[in-house]
Order: sequence, then structure tokens, then C-alpha cells
Amino acid sequence: MGAAPIPRGARRAVAVSLLPGAALFATFFLVPLGVLLVTAFSRWGGLELAWTGLENYRRMLSDPVFFAALGNTLFYAAAAVAVQVPLGVAAGMVLALRPRGWEAFRTVIFVPFVISGAAYALVFSMFYNARAGLLNNALAALGLPGDRDWLFDTTTARWAVAGTFVFVVGFVMVLVMAEIAAIPDEVYEAAQIDGASSWRQAVHITLPLLRTVIGTVILIRLLVDIGMFDVVFILTAGGPDNATATLALYAYRAYLNGEWGYANAVGSTILVVGMVLIVAVRRLFRVGEGR
Amino acid sequence: MHDRGSSVLAGFAAALVILAGCGAGAESSSSDSGEVVITCATCQQSPTDPFLQYNYEAAQRFNERYAGTYRVETLENPNAGSSDDRLQYYQRLAMADDLPDLFQLNSGEIRALQETGRLHDFAPDLAADEEWAGTFHDHVFDALRGPDGQIWAIPQQRDAIGIFYNAELLERAGYDAFPPTWDEFEQLAARLRADGVTALALDGDWATMLMWVHLIGTGGGEDFLIDGITSADGWADDPAVVAATERLRSWHVDGYVNADAFSGEFQNAAAAYLSEQAATIANGPWFVKTNLTGDAASPGLYEKTGFAPAPGWSAGERGVIVVSGAGWVSGATDERALTAVREFVRFVSSQDEVLAQAAATGASPPVAVDPDAMAAAELEPLATGLAEEAAEVTHRYPHVRVHGPAGFGVAWRNLWPAYVDGSMPAAEFLDRLAADARAQAGG
Repeated sequence: MGAAPIPRGARRAVAVSLLPGAALFATFFLVPLGVLLVTAFSRWGGLELAWTGLENYRRMLSDPVFFAALGNTLFYAAAAVAVQVPLGVAAGMVLALRPRGWEAFRTVIFVPFVISGAAYALVFSMFYNARAGLLNNALAALGLPGDRDWLFDTTTARWAVAGTFVFVVGFVMVLVMAEIAAIPDEVYEAAQIDGASSWRQAVHITLPLLRTVIGTVILIRLLVDIGMFDVVFILTAGGPDNATATLALYAYRAYLNGEWGYANAVGSTILVVGMVLIVAVRRLFRVGEGR
Repeated sequence: MHDRGSSVLAGFAAALVILAGCGAGAESSSSDSGEVVITCATCQQSPTDPFLQYNYEAAQRFNERYAGTYRVETLENPNAGSSDDRLQYYQRLAMADDLPDLFQLNSGEIRALQETGRLHDFAPDLAADEEWAGTFHDHVFDALRGPDGQIWAIPQQRDAIGIFYNAELLERAGYDAFPPTWDEFEQLAARLRADGVTALALDGDWATMLMWVHLIGTGGGEDFLIDGITSADGWADDPAVVAATERLRSWHVDGYVNADAFSGEFQNAAAAYLSEQAATIANGPWFVKTNLTGDAASPGLYEKTGFAPAPGWSAGERGVIVVSGAGWVSGATDERALTAVREFVRFVSSQDEVLAQAAATGASPPVAVDPDAMAAAELEPLATGLAEEAAEVTHRYPHVRVHGPAGFGVAWRNLWPAYVDGSMPAAEFLDRLAADARAQAGG
């Protein structure tokens, strides 16, 4: 079914009403995007702007730090999806059954999601503190070595950073609960008449019907995590030896160096990675195709 | 319809006015009364940074004294104190020809910003006023000069930096004075470790670099700290630098350093010293004001604390870091604004003001001060004691964080933990540090 045509007399009014939105969209999205894409092929530090073709991309592909940052970014995104989505879906499915105290559990699980990344990072910097942090003190109390600097040891830094956000499952849980609430009761009633157990209902009815929302949360998580900056910046600033650096942090360093064109080339790469992920996940989970 | 169109246009007009307002930055101006108003980007109030707070109070006194003639107007900004973003902030303003009339930078940042050609050269001002120029200590302008004799900043301070120590903890370990050599310092560290005390509080940034500099400077590496640090390579070829780097790493490996020595947060190191878990910490005289006399310090810690020059590699070869690489910079171009800027920098380098700054921050004056006035000011005895001792030590050298490439701190924080955990040898660490420090500085 197509949209109803706009009456001839109202077209001008509609066009005028769209102008502020279009102007804002152009100012805050199209123009920056255009600047990003053009200057990505330039040497730009503010004072000069010189077209350099693919030079920024050649340099990027020859810089091992770029690949370290790309690897870390994909690692964080994959870790978030691999841990948050199964845990979030499981929590959502359990709480959707309305067990005793489910509202309190829902609140407790959701609250970490609304805490800002910066505040979260500060809390975890204290948690991981090698001298006085909770983690090392707990390990020491158990008779285990309790003096490791988790965030600044090259063998543990990346895992320690990932550990700060992969268990924040509130967002996935809430979306899953909302989706389950929208499943008609008749479906479950029919299954019960056929003698299906709760487990079989969850596996054969609920889970398949969650396909779209699972695809959506995976998409959102991936897009959030490929632009990750604040948590890493506060916890480790990308160190030690770039073991935790992300693409966004790598671009930020280039920006600090006055290499704005190079920073934008990195930014355009993040854009491309994001678009590839969107297409892949949409196809895999058939997002937008309904149930 | 007409009304709706008017509303849209009015909305656009309002948006343009707002956008235009966003662009209004550091313009100096004259009021109707003829008062010259100059902007200052490092004169905002700060409850945590005593230097910024002093600047704010000095600007208020200046405004009071020159009411009706000159006035300093504060530009509130997040880069007023030292930060990794500060250089970029001023580079952006320089490109827009919108630098504040007054702000502060260290020498590494000044070297990077001079390339914009927007900084005021104070050399002619000093040449034209020999009496004023003569009040400054020797060599305080060394780190602030340009390649053609320009003087880009009026120094704010000239501090001797040594090592604070907890005399009570040292006494318990059998030392009634601070060790005069690095070997003895390590013997002390081993005894302290045996007693469960951390010998040295480090942070992976400022304080760690201070110890690196002390080890280099007292080991024959003064030339490196003055000149070599500004070159992009050859750091790993300097035996003093390699020896200092390896020795500092060994202190981590041997357990002489606090476990959280890589966070880049000075307060982590300070907490270890202030809670008496660590026996020593390197920092400048402002540490007294900012930490030692604060609520976080253990009761009575100030009375137990001494402030000594760095040990030497051999007896009698002790040293101090002398910091004079930060100062007042101006981006003013208008002659009326420059007149006000000149008056302001004369004002803050006057005897009364440098003593007020010393009392407020612990920083030592960049100008010679009458001894009677100095005594009357009753300055912090720990700081003045080291300043007097500094005149007698064998080695004096600048701090890399102030005198080195502007990107040195970022590069160090990234690479130092990896070097200490054995991910790379000293030569690779130094080569990469040199390269990254230059790259981070936009070089």
C-alpha cells in the first residue's frame, strides 16, 4: 500500500514545513559527511588543504597500529555480541515468565545500561586498580596472586577492558521482554493443548519469534561498539602499546597530531565497516522482514 | 500563510544569530570609556589547580589596579590547565586567527605553536625595558626562545624539583638522611620492601618521567635532556639514556614501586605516599600545597617529610630538575591590546606578585627577589630549602614533559607499561618513544 498523495494545495505548505528539518539534516549530517569524505583524500591540518588521493589509505594500510586498533575494535564488538546477546535474551525470556520479584530483577539488570560510559569506566578503573582495587584484594583473600595490573599488562589489558561492558545486558533484555509481550497468547495456548512443555515452548515458539529483535540488538551493539571511545580513553588511553586502542581512539590521536585528513580517512573506514555490518546482519537475521 | 512564512524566516534568523555568536571568541576590545579589554584563557577559577586559581586572583588584582584603563576578561575553557588537548585547542584558535590575548603553555607546546606565526614575540619588549629584563634569573628564557632569538613567553616560575621522602620510614629502614647515590637508594629500597613498604611512588606519567630524568641527568645525560630530546632519533644510542631506562625498569621488576604505577594518574602515586605506603615520591614544590597539607595526607605526614635533590650515580653528583619552561604567551596583534598584555606580564612578574604566587602555589619566582621580602613572605620551608640546596648540586636539567616534544607524554604512557612488562627491549622502546613523541606533536 503506497502513501496517500499530497493534495495539490498543500504541497507548498508541506515543503515549507520540511525546510527546517532538511536544513538541520544538511547542516549536521550531509555537510560533515561531505567534509569527512572529501578531506579523507587530503592532507588537512587546518592551515593547508592539499588533495593527496589515496595516500591516507595507503598509509593506513601500512601502519601496524591501525590493524591493532581494527582488531581490537572488532574484538570488542564481537565480545559484546557474544556475551550480551545470549545473556540478555536469556534474562529477557526468564523475566517474561513473570517469576517472583521479576520487576526488581529487571530494574537491577537495566540500571547499568543507563550509567554513562565515562562513569562506568571510572568505577572499573578503581575495580581493577592494582594496589587497592576490589579484584586484586578479592584474589589475595582467596590466596591467589593479587598484584597484577590488569589494565596495563599487555596480556590482560584487552580482556580487562572488554570485561567492563560485556555484562551490561539490560538493553537486550528490555527489548526481548517487549517483543515477547507482543506474541499473542493464543500461540502458547495452542502449544499447551498439544502438550508442549515450557522448555519446548521457549525453544520452538519464543526463540524463533525473537529472530528480528535479536538481529536488531546485534546490529545496534555492533554499531555502538565499532565507535567505542570513552571507556577505552578513560581506562587505558589505548595502551599499553596500543593493546586496547580502538579505531575511534586511533582517529582521535591523528586529530591531536593535527592530521585531520588522516583522522577522517580512519573515520570513513569506520563508516564502511559499519555499513558492511549493517548489510550482513540485516541479511542474516532478515531484519525488517517481519515474523 | 504569511504568518507561517514569517515564523520560518524568524527561526532561520535566530539560528544564524546563535551560530554567529558561537564564533565570537577571543576578540580584545575597547569599551566606550576607553578601557582596553584583553582576554585570558588561563585565568579561570579552579578549586583544584592552585596555579589557575592564582592566575584568576592575579587577574582580579590587575583589574583593580588598572580599573578604567585595562581589564582582563576570563575565557572559560576546558584546556586552561595542562592537558593532552591543550596544544590542539590553541592550534585551532591560531588557525582561525582567534588566539586569546593571554594564555600559558610549556616550551614543547610553544615550539609547536610558533609554526603558526601567531605568537607575540616578547624579545623587543624585554630589550626596550632593561630594568624589567634584568630582574629575571639567568637562563629562564632558554626553553622559551624561537629559532631567531624570539622570546615567546614570559616565564611563570623557576622551580627546583627533587624527591619528597618520609623521614620516619627511612629511619626505620636504618637511614637518617636521604641516600646520596642511586646504589644506596636501591639498598634502601630493598630494606623498605622487606618491611612491606613501597620505596617509590610512581604514576606511569609525570612522576615516572621525573625519575627517568633524574637518572639521565645525574648520569651524564644533561645534553640529551636539553638538546637530544628534541631530535627524532638517536635516543637509544645515548648510554646515559639506556642505563637510566633499564635501571628505572628494574625498580618495577624488583618490586620497589607501587603496583598501580602505570595508570597515568598522579593521584594514584600521591595516594601511596600520602597514606605512608610509599616512602618517596618525586614532584615539585607545589606538591606541598596540592597534596601534602591536604585532607588525604596521613596525620603528621608534613612534619615527617623531607625534600631532597636526586641521588647521583656516584657520590657528590646529585641533581635537580629545573623547570622554567612554562610561561605567559600572547596571541594579541592589536597594539592597544598588546600594551595591556605588556602591562599584565610586568604585573605578574613584579616582586609582590611572584611572592603571592609562591605563597599560593609553592612555585619559586622566575625573578630575583629581595632576600628580606622573601623572608618576610614566609614561604614554604621544604620548597625554599630545596631551592637553596639546588644552587649547590652538580647537575641541573629540564623535565622532558615540559621541555621535550609536545607528544612525549602520550607516547610515554602508551609504551612504558609494555616495556616494563618485557614486551620490548630498551632500544626498541626508546626508538619508538622518540618516533611516537614526534608524531604525536604533529612532527
